[in-house]
Amino acid sequence: MIVEGKVLPVDRANVDTDQIIPAFLLTGITSTGLGVHLFKGMTGGPDLLAAHPDASIVVTRENFGCGSSREHAAWALADRGIRAVVAPSFARIFQENAYNNGVAPVTVDAAEIDALLAAPSLKIDLEAETLTTPEGRAIKFSLDPLRKRFLLEGGYLDFLANKRDAVRSWLNRDHVRPG
Amino acid sequence: MSQSLFEKVWDAHVVEQLPGGNALLFVDRIVAHEITTPQGALEIEQRYGDELFDKRRIVAMNDHVSPAKDTETAIQAKVLRQWAKRHGITLYDIGDNGICHVIAPERGHIEPGMTVICGDSHTCTLGAFGAFALGIGTTVQTGAMLAGCVVLERPKVMRVTVNGRLGHGATAKDLALYVISTLTFKGATGYAIEYRGEAIDALSMDERMTLCNMAVEAGGTTAMIAPDETTFSYLRGRENQPQGEAFETNVSRWRALRSDPDARYDKELALDVGSLRPMVSWGTNPGESVPLDGRVPADADKKSLEYMDLAPGDALRGLPVDQAFIGSCTNSRLADLRAAGEVLRGRKVSVPTIITPGSQAVKRAAEKEGLHDVFQDAGALWTHSSCGPCLGMSMGVVAPGSRCISSSNRNFPGRMGAGARVHLASPTVVAASAILGRIASPEELGPIVSLEKVAAER
Repeated sequence: MIVEGKVLPVDRANVDTDQIIPAFLLTGITSTGLGVHLFKGMTGGPDLLAAHPDASIVVTRENFGCGSSREHAAWALADRGIRAVVAPSFARIFQENAYNNGVAPVTVDAAEIDALLAAPSLKIDLEAETLTTPEGRAIKFSLDPLRKRFLLEGGYLDFLANKRDAVRSWLNRDHVRPG
Repeated sequence: MSQSLFEKVWDAHVVEQLPGGNALLFVDRIVAHEITTPQGALEIEQRYGDELFDKRRIVAMNDHVSPAKDTETAIQAKVLRQWAKRHGITLYDIGDNGICHVIAPERGHIEPGMTVICGDSHTCTLGAFGAFALGIGTTVQTGAMLAGCVVLERPKVMRVTVNGRLGHGATAKDLALYVISTLTFKGATGYAIEYRGEAIDALSMDERMTLCNMAVEAGGTTAMIAPDETTFSYLRGRENQPQGEAFETNVSRWRALRSDPDARYDKELALDVGSLRPMVSWGTNPGESVPLDGRVPADADKKSLEYMDLAPGDALRGLPVDQAFIGSCTNSRLADLRAAGEVLRGRKVSVPTIITPGSQAVKRAAEKEGLHDVFQDAGALWTHSSCGPCLGMSMGVVAPGSRCISSSNRNFPGRMGAGARVHLASPTVVAASAILGRIASPEELGPIVSLEKVAAER
């Protein structure tokens, strides 16, 4: 799967999930329609989005998605049409949430970020795990081999649903745990 | 083979090894609250026949916005309430509820050696019991509700040895801020921290929960403390725990839950806290913290400085505050309220101050000791339990540009309200700052008492 699109440059480190979507907007019972709230908690966030209305790739600095576990952050990115976030590092929970919602967490060396922030667009081959700059320079990255499947095809819940019998027999076989 | 505490708990729960260092990990306890659970509950109802793997392993609570503040949050609470009722899941609701990380252990739902998940990043709090407890997103929580397991990449293990004893007014909160400022905001990403050492042994369960609570603020998957007599005493006789001989049988099993002497770690850090003093954050993440007598660092992040309206070299002590908050899953337990009460007793706050107990049970226990009178005599607002002002989601939102000294865990931009400037500190520092109207340590209050007397005589 190829993600090719314009860049939304978020030139800051430690973009926490409160900045991606503030807590007062987490009052729904569904995962849909949150794109309108994207980056509402970030100083200058709405203006940045207005300046890049059809961006599909966020480029940012280290520790993106830190803080709260709210999957709403990944839901808001996906709903807004963001298909990949390129950063030197991600917080664990956000990274899991991103994989489960079709938002590719693309980890590249910190030294690459200045150039990528300046790029108007990028091309990301998720299957081949290669990011290509407008000048044609290719940067390799790696995705988790299991979660890559959830990223490309969805199906985290189906994967687990299909494990239920195995989990039950594991429990019966080896383990009596507090209920 | 020698194993660390983490490895013992992890290995006992691996159902299946999966590609990429991932495991299918069995989950003993799911803690479910109203903000991140309804979406998954509805998805299981719609797509998987409303079938839960094991309802007995789930405990639920309305905690983030409880009582509801508007129609939307009322619907969240209602969905959680109806779901819990339909499945016979234990639910803590208005009148008898509390913050998930406070009430789950308080009601005896957390034990050493368990795996625990909750759709809340501060679930690492519960590692204080020697559990492997971590925050996850809604999809992962939903998967555990459906199949009893999570897919998780095995974290590395970092041992943090804390030598010396806390003194000089330093608390578990100050230790947490010190560790995070040492590791940085992302320094524990990919790691489960194991805390050990003389200072840790001496901590109460309330204090251990405060310390473990903030592991995620260094990026850590969780923090764990091997269970000991302090842990067993906390659990002994507690509701939802077996009583008598059955409990003691568990204790003898739990005693094995400690790292073997030659266990191996991926990273080690040793700290001495003998000279630790109260800490306070200056920036927009908890790693940006310094001793209260310290100054904003010369190499401070420009965006943090701009947001906080500070400059390199600025002193923290003496910085005027507009509001104060004592509460949150970090510092809202009885020990925290007692500590704040000692500072506030017989004194008056000079800025709006909100004190929010971590659970209704904590509230009642505090009131039995008269702490509600101490707080209200001091002019503070004593509220019902909830996550409250910590995340700017319901009551107590801080105005743009206002400075709030807070015992909570996050000073992110906008966390307690758009444009609000948050300084993290211990409950005693918050109480002293609330009295003086500026960032202050309790030791500054000696003269203040006499000043009050002077004022009264005048």
